[in-house]
Amino acid sequence: MIKNYFKIAWRNMVKNKGYSAINIGGLAVGMAVAMLIGLWVHDELTYDRYHQNYDRIAQVMQHANFNGKVETQVSNPALMGPELRDKYGSNFKYVIQSSWTGGHLLSIGDKHISKVGNFFEPDAPDMLTLKMLKGTRAGLKDPYSIMMSASAAESLFGKEDPINKTIKLDRSFDVKVTGVYEDLPDNTSFREIKIMMPWELWLIQNPWAKQMNEPWGSNFSQTFVQIADNTDMASVSAKIKNTKLNNVSKEEAKYQWAVFLHPMGKWNLYNEFRNGVNTGGNIRYVWLFGIIGIFVLLLACINFMNLATARSEKRAREVGIRKAIGSMRWQLIRQFFAESYLVVILAFVLSLILVVLLLPLFNEVAGKKIAIPWQNPIFWTFSLVFILITGLLSGSYPALYLSSFQPLKVLKGTFRVGRFASVPRKVLVVLQFTVSVMLIIGTIIVYQQIQYAKDRPIGYTRNGLINLGMEKEIREHYETVRTELKNSGAIEEMAASNSPLTQVWNTNGGFEWEGKDPNLAVDFPNNRVSYEFGKTVNWKIKEGRDFSRDYATDSAAFIINESAAKFLGFKNPVGTVLKWNNQPFTIIGVVNDIMQESPFYPVRPTLYHIGEYENMYNLILRLNPQKNAKQSLTSIEQLLKKYTPSVPFDYKFVDEEFGGKFRAEERIGKLSSYFAILAVLISCLGLFGMASFVAEQRTKEIGIRKVLGASVINLWQLLSKEFVLLVVFSCIIAVPIAWYYLSNWLTNYDYRITISWQVFALAAAAALIITIVTVSFQAIKAAIANPVKSLRTE
Amino acid sequence: MIKITDLEKVYRTDEVETVALNKLSIEVKEGEFVAVMGPSGCGKSTLLNILGLLDDPDSGSFIFNGIEVAKFNERKRADLRKRNIGFVFQSFNLIDELTVFENVELPLIYTGVKSGDRKKRVEAVLDKMQIMHRRNHYPQQLSGGQQQRVAVARAVVNKPKLILADEPTGNLDSSNGNEVMQMLTDLNEQGTTIVMVTHSEHDARYSHRIIRMLDGQTVMENIMV
Repeated sequence: MIKNYFKIAWRNMVKNKGYSAINIGGLAVGMAVAMLIGLWVHDELTYDRYHQNYDRIAQVMQHANFNGKVETQVSNPALMGPELRDKYGSNFKYVIQSSWTGGHLLSIGDKHISKVGNFFEPDAPDMLTLKMLKGTRAGLKDPYSIMMSASAAESLFGKEDPINKTIKLDRSFDVKVTGVYEDLPDNTSFREIKIMMPWELWLIQNPWAKQMNEPWGSNFSQTFVQIADNTDMASVSAKIKNTKLNNVSKEEAKYQWAVFLHPMGKWNLYNEFRNGVNTGGNIRYVWLFGIIGIFVLLLACINFMNLATARSEKRAREVGIRKAIGSMRWQLIRQFFAESYLVVILAFVLSLILVVLLLPLFNEVAGKKIAIPWQNPIFWTFSLVFILITGLLSGSYPALYLSSFQPLKVLKGTFRVGRFASVPRKVLVVLQFTVSVMLIIGTIIVYQQIQYAKDRPIGYTRNGLINLGMEKEIREHYETVRTELKNSGAIEEMAASNSPLTQVWNTNGGFEWEGKDPNLAVDFPNNRVSYEFGKTVNWKIKEGRDFSRDYATDSAAFIINESAAKFLGFKNPVGTVLKWNNQPFTIIGVVNDIMQESPFYPVRPTLYHIGEYENMYNLILRLNPQKNAKQSLTSIEQLLKKYTPSVPFDYKFVDEEFGGKFRAEERIGKLSSYFAILAVLISCLGLFGMASFVAEQRTKEIGIRKVLGASVINLWQLLSKEFVLLVVFSCIIAVPIAWYYLSNWLTNYDYRITISWQVFALAAAAALIITIVTVSFQAIKAAIANPVKSLRTE
Repeated sequence: MIKITDLEKVYRTDEVETVALNKLSIEVKEGEFVAVMGPSGCGKSTLLNILGLLDDPDSGSFIFNGIEVAKFNERKRADLRKRNIGFVFQSFNLIDELTVFENVELPLIYTGVKSGDRKKRVEAVLDKMQIMHRRNHYPQQLSGGQQQRVAVARAVVNKPKLILADEPTGNLDSSNGNEVMQMLTDLNEQGTTIVMVTHSEHDARYSHRIIRMLDGQTVMENIMV
């Protein structure tokens, strides 16, 4: 019997090639989208699962109350780890103090490569359950050791065995390779880390860390823990709450430091905190894309349902005969399901091919390295379930509808599809276009928001600026290097800075001024810069003047940004004195806000002061616009190599760094625009199919109208009107829903657009134009057909 | 075999009420060949549909093989139908997507006959109807007469007790028509009960008895000698 079902299904499919192509093609596109999204969602949900104990690992974080607003940070004092071990040791299996993740130079003979890594306490490889390829996880016990990932080992040593080889780290320390581990997969938080060094070595490299007057007041490292097997995250988190508060000065205590554990399982999807509350994060995109995936699949299933039921009159006779000669209704239901499943299986095969072809592009847009897990039985189980669900979704309505026909009416020739038979089809078309219009609106608003933030004044000119790390030799010969670079004509100006232009590396408290509320807590981004910083970045002085070598007093002066001026509340800030750790600094100028952090949030009150070259780690160069940039970069590299021959010339265009701030939003924008296009395409395919059936159904009517004098335009209007009305109705439903969700999304950004009605008008117009174009092809084809021919079909 | 008593069937639309069967009573004995005649709209097709369990009466009694079936639900009717009744239609009603063999095989599939058995029975009946050589053709590739022979083959393959024929020669020329009528006669002689609706006096002469209907009632019965 099943064979018979599939035989008929196959013959029907071959007989109606156009219809089958629309069905299989549309469904394949829908399934491919759902599969890609499924792979993406799986990747997001299994983040960090590579580490066997991921559910017991956490990062130690802190909330601090600044003037009533709770801010959350990952940085900790270096004493956090030892203190947790000391006071709450039984609650933890491992406590790991760690540096920030950063680039390090590895040298062996003449070979120098830069690799990203961390300094960890010795238990880190055990906590992260690294898969060792050579050596053991105990490789960080000796302060002068290094463990590296397989890829890092290969790029440094090729095929040679790296174990026990000595290399130079950051041109200062000889370290011995003690282990090689499997590279961490792309969906882990530590994926960038290719080398691990002992925390002990970091402390040797940075002796100041142990010599601070107030070691609990300075946050410059990270702390990770694995909780003990007999405890749970929430109770440990509650226990350690006051770890910092118990150790800080009275002055610091007013920030109400509260320590807590942020579980590894939440790092990727729940990484946002607002006013001390975890407000989610990427999880919202998992939901968003999950829903989009389901919707796009649903759209494709709706096409199937609509086309299948629209063809019902053609299939009705067959149903009647089958019933007359003994088919039970359930047998017909099974037959129609078999037909649906044949289409679904073919569409699935096609969609797999599509996914294979599209995956590289998808990975690029989504910033992922997802591969199809061909070998994984779970993948195939999911695929089977996916086919079952899709078949059920798309096949159930046609099966129930078609099998319900009365044989008598059909065979008597009195069968006519009822007046209301097309109502479910109309509802489904409305649903399709509602989703499509919502996606169009969403895409436009995401793009507007990105553009809005991009167009926001940034307070400096980023074209032609490059940023690079400043090595010791350059710091020592700063003035000579600057003169030589300027003389070479490659640059217009050069400046040193503590933070790169697109980040804030340093904030400070300890400021006093006249009239300050004694309870006011302050923590300003405070950037050490060289005299030419302003000239190099091209900031705009609003009041006062720029730093100048002509004034010896400028070594104890601040230039503040507009937000700082507002925060401090001075009427005339220039000339006012700010005390920083009891040292007086005079404000000599006010500049425009320079956007160094997120383009979606307000610029913080920021101070700039002249620093010593040995305390600044970033070099900012403005290329000479009169010269070819490539040539200029070559001459800069040659000149710097004179001083640091072994250091790679690793520069970044500030423009690109700035662009990186929009990456997450741009990714969302791009993905949602692709999905919107596909959703519209699928909906149009369905509409095209429906229009062709309607035109076919009304052939006789069109013929009669034509004979009676209807023009092509009249007939085109007649056939298009219904679809246009459906789409108008979809827009009416889509607009408020889209408005509601997008307004909510925008509240995630302090700096955001207001949604204008034009967006909705644009999306509706786009949907209508697409509809009219799609339907017109069939409508005009029917309208220009010879009426004699169409009347003869009776 | 069939006994209907005071059968009524009324078709209603918004404004019009049409009485198709008006307290009709008929009896058909096992092995009989009955022709039903009458002008268009007299209710003969309605009668045939009710006898074929494709439609249900509004009131009255319908006893089929000793069982009252007038109130049977769709499921029971379908079950009874597939085991006992074969249909021959004026417009053949073959499924275009299936070959001759597959069309004839269909009733056997629905009654759950095993594949090997099916093949034997279909081949036997195709042989008998002399269309074995066309077994792999599709209906559109056959002449009207050949199509009706396939339809008859399909109607008899399940060995039904009753064959209902609705103007079986209406779409055929006279020689093909005669051939089909001869087939029905042969089947009847082998024991199958036949009820045939026809406009053709010539065809009616093949039957044992002619029931003439007008306005949903029998007006006359002729016993053929």
